[in-house]
This record gives sequence, structure tokens and C-alpha cells, in this order.
Amino acid sequence: MSLIAISSDSYASGLDIARRTAAALGYGLVDRELLASVAAERGLPQEQLVQALEETPSFFGMRGRRQQELLVHIQAACLEKLREDNQVCYGLGAHLYLVGVSHALRVRVLADPKERLAETAAQRGLPPERAAKLLERQEQERRRWSQQFFQADEGDPAQYDMVLSLGNLEADKAVELIGDAAGYRKFQAMTYSRKCLQDKILAARVLEKLLPQFPDIRVQASDGTVVAQVQSLKRDQRKKQEAVRELASQVPGVNYVEVHVIRDYFGQAAQSGR
Amino acid sequence: MPEPLEVLLLDDEPIVGRRLKPALAKIGCEVEVFENPEKALARLQQKEFKIVVTDIRMDDIDGMQVLEFVRQRWPQSKVIMITGYAMMSLAREAMEKGAFDFIAKPFKPDDLRRVIAKAADALGYHLDFAAAGEGA
Repeated sequence: MSLIAISSDSYASGLDIARRTAAALGYGLVDRELLASVAAERGLPQEQLVQALEETPSFFGMRGRRQQELLVHIQAACLEKLREDNQVCYGLGAHLYLVGVSHALRVRVLADPKERLAETAAQRGLPPERAAKLLERQEQERRRWSQQFFQADEGDPAQYDMVLSLGNLEADKAVELIGDAAGYRKFQAMTYSRKCLQDKILAARVLEKLLPQFPDIRVQASDGTVVAQVQSLKRDQRKKQEAVRELASQVPGVNYVEVHVIRDYFGQAAQSGR
Repeated sequence: MPEPLEVLLLDDEPIVGRRLKPALAKIGCEVEVFENPEKALARLQQKEFKIVVTDIRMDDIDGMQVLEFVRQRWPQSKVIMITGYAMMSLAREAMEKGAFDFIAKPFKPDDLRRVIAKAADALGYHLDFAAAGEGA
């Protein structure tokens, strides 16, 4: 009766452990196959969804605003899927947005560093020193990605309930340890943790609706009440509040919307300087 | 006539007991309400309640201590924790110590009735949940 969100410094190693864990426990696996339905249901290009999960925003690549929107679509779909108990989730960033859901066991799997280095060197045709530098750069970019979109450092062990190093553990043993931990009472679902998950689902659905129009919006939900925080110039304040309220109210499950406005001082200064 | 399900309800806010006692009586629970944890523990020392509902944050003795006491004294009893200070670490701690469920305040009487009905099921009792009426 719990959820397991796995994250890894190597996509292939993490996927392997996620698959084995789901098979060993008889759990469902929620992985990037979900992206096909996210793309189909929302009319989005699937390759952009993958890109949003993998790339750090850059001047030449995907813009941060678009990437944030795509990640929220993934988040909403993934959380909805995780409403079902007994799921292992991998490759969708769930470890970053399940924070606070007590029946979600968050696991970091560290690939065997020697194997990882050798694989990267072979795949890219690089000498070991350059492959090591490449891996270091990728790790830094990954941290920037998680900090930019989820305000958390994905590489920080404190983000997880469990960190397993495949350099020191066989894959089967790692799976066994994850299965044992998932059985602990503290990771069992309860009324409160289900409510936390439900609130996150609603907040993500509202964000899906609002982000395209209000890129700076922050949303929290509790029991059908949505609290949104948006930046605005003084003169647009009322109009913006109404627009946010109207859009958010269209999301099924929303009973009440409260909109807080933060004064956009930079915008205000720019306006008055004209 | 089915045997009533005996419930001890402990919350230092009197309004909680006043509201929940009739709500639980509607589904066939016989409820004893306590506002003072010491008195509740004294009662629990004497008598086994099938279900104990306790607030967590109280003066002197907190809900976690009540949970530990009940788990030791009456291991079959189901303990439901309610709190206005819910957070993940507290929820996990309560579950680890053997709580049956953990509910964040504020909640509707139906939310608690649903959990009590689940606990009753686990104890082999059947409560007439429909008798409470929708949202009552």
C-alpha cells in the first residue's frame, strides 16, 4: 500500500532497478511510457515532453517557460496515476513532486561509478578523463534542472528516504532492500497522506490551466480550496485576480479560489519610467 | 441487537468532543469523551476500548504517548490520530508506532466516520455507515 519513486544518476540503471522492484513486489510501473498518453490527451509532441525531463533550459534549447508547462502536464498525469496504490514510478521526476506525501518512499539509486564511466566512454568514444568530465557536467546540469523547476537539489541525499549505491550492492540486493523498506508501516498510506496526494493532483491540474497565461503563478490546493499567488501591476490587479479565479474555477474539484497578488515592482518601475 | 463499538475520544478542545460524539453515535459507537489526557490514560488503564481517537498536540501528555500506552496495554485496539499540526514526519512516526490511521484537522465528521468504519471492519464489527446520512 505504498508508492516508490526512484531516481538515479544513470537513466538505464534506475530503470532496471525500477522494473525489477515492480516485478518483485507485484507493483505497477509508471515510467516514460506514460508520456504517450500525456502527449495524446493534451495534444503535445511526445519528444518535447522527454526533452523537458532531460534538458536544462538554455538560450538555444527549450525555453524555461515552455519547459515548465510541459513538466506540469507530466506532473498532473503522473500524480493522477499514482492515486492507485502499489506503484513504482521512474523517469518522470516524481521524487521531486511527491515531497510531503508520507506513503511515497523516495529512493536514489547510484549507478556503479566504474561501469557508468566505462559506458559513457564507450558510447561517446571518449578517453576516461573526458568521459569523467562529461559526467560531472551532466550531474551539474541535472542539479540545475531540479533546482530551477522543483526548487530542490536532485543530487542531495537528504531529499530521499533511501540511497543505494550499485557500486557496493548487487541489483537484486538493492531491490530486496527497497521492497523491505516499502513494507515499513511508516510508508503505508493513510487518510492524511492520501489527502496530500489529492491536493497535489488538484494543484497540478489548476497549474496546467493557469501557467500558459500566468507564467509566474504559484498554486496550492487543500480540500478543493485553491490558493493562487500571482504578480501584477497595481492597475491590472483586479483584472488579473478575476481571470485567475475564473480559469481555476473551471477545473473539476475546485470549490473555492483565493487569489493573492504580489506587486510587480520591476514591472511597475519599467512602466513609470516610460 | 449488535454489540456497540466502544470508542474513547480524547481532545483538549471541548468543541471536538461535543461535535464528534453525536456524529459517531449515529453509526452505533458508544463514545466516552475526554479533554484531559491524564484522565483518559487512567480510564484506558482500566478499560479496553476497541477504538481510541486522540489528538496529538496536548499539554503534558501528547497523543504519541497515548498511542504508545494503548499499543502496549491493549494491542488489539485501533488508534486513530487527529491533529491540526499534520506533517509528513509526524504522520510517519504515528504509523511506525502503530497508529491505525492519521487524519489532519479540520475534517468533516464523515471523514472520521469512514475511518472508524474501516477500523471496525478490521476488528470484525459492522457499522451502519449509511445510518449517519450524507454529510451529517
